[in-house]
Amino acid sequence: MAQSLTHGETALPADWRDLFALTKPRVMSLVVFTALCGLLAAPGSVHPVLAFSSILAIALGAGASGALNQWYEAGLDAKMKRTAGRPLPAGRLDPQTALQFGVGLAAFSVFLMLFAANWQAAVLLTVSILFYVFVYTMWLKPRTPQNIVIGGAAGAFPPLIGWVAATGSVAPLPILLFLLIFLWTPPHFWALALFVRSDYAAAGIPMMPVVAGETSTRRQILFYALIMAAGAIAPWPLGYTGALYGWTAVVMSAIFVALSIQVGMRKTGEGDPMQPEKRLFAYSIAYLFILFGAVVADHWFPL
Amino acid sequence: MTDQTPPDPQPLDEAEYRRRQRSRANLMGWLLGGLAFLFFFITIARMVVPK
Repeated sequence: MAQSLTHGETALPADWRDLFALTKPRVMSLVVFTALCGLLAAPGSVHPVLAFSSILAIALGAGASGALNQWYEAGLDAKMKRTAGRPLPAGRLDPQTALQFGVGLAAFSVFLMLFAANWQAAVLLTVSILFYVFVYTMWLKPRTPQNIVIGGAAGAFPPLIGWVAATGSVAPLPILLFLLIFLWTPPHFWALALFVRSDYAAAGIPMMPVVAGETSTRRQILFYALIMAAGAIAPWPLGYTGALYGWTAVVMSAIFVALSIQVGMRKTGEGDPMQPEKRLFAYSIAYLFILFGAVVADHWFPL
Repeated sequence: MTDQTPPDPQPLDEAEYRRRQRSRANLMGWLLGGLAFLFFFITIARMVVPK
């Protein structure tokens, strides 16, 4: 196994906690949950062992993407307060170990998906890992403020992969769930970017508040919140979900839009505590958890 | 401009080296054991579930 962190002439083995931190466990929890909901909302039943293995494969794939992202962005992470304590910029892990760990985990996750589910799900998992690493991390993120708009597709794959792992085919509902996460990503990340703007500016990452300014970012948060709300409610009138999901989506999206209006209409000065932005960011996470929970509840206990 | 010399490398902490080696060996053992079980159960599940 790869070694890391030289102390004098000899190298210390990497601590497993640092390897675990490379996988971005907090991001992984949302990935696992949305993938599980995609799998549970699919028609038919899946053997519990195969369902568990498919979700494990998606979790490992997400972890591999996170590890490769941190490997590539170690230099940028060192310049931002929020990320300077990560294993690579903090010097607790060497880049070679991180790269080997990420590539190995990615390959294993795809193999596990192929073995436990089907080739269609394995292909989608491969595409999502490659998209996150090459398209989002390496290409879009350092170049354009639209990075998280297009890159949001990478995070939108899990429910689709979960559904395909269960059924072997794509259907309209998982595509709408993909669309929901895709449209949710800009207001979620831009709310964060507004209150860590100086961090992104210091690292030279062209996030929307850094490039287009705060006012434009706030308007775009509101714009995306409105089309996200329409996208969230859409499965109900289109007949892919029932009233349980429909009403949950209506109420939760109305609150999301209300919080976005608060953020969208605000003007801030130096030293503003950015409470509405932090509230929107925190709510957006709960929003996705509750909506995906409602998709499953609606499938199993229709009103 | 001050002349900065790099800090001396820390002396190897033998106990820390052994601790990390042991914890990683333990973890690898559990992971490989878990994977063996997982692949066994996946194989059984695939035999049970009709195509």
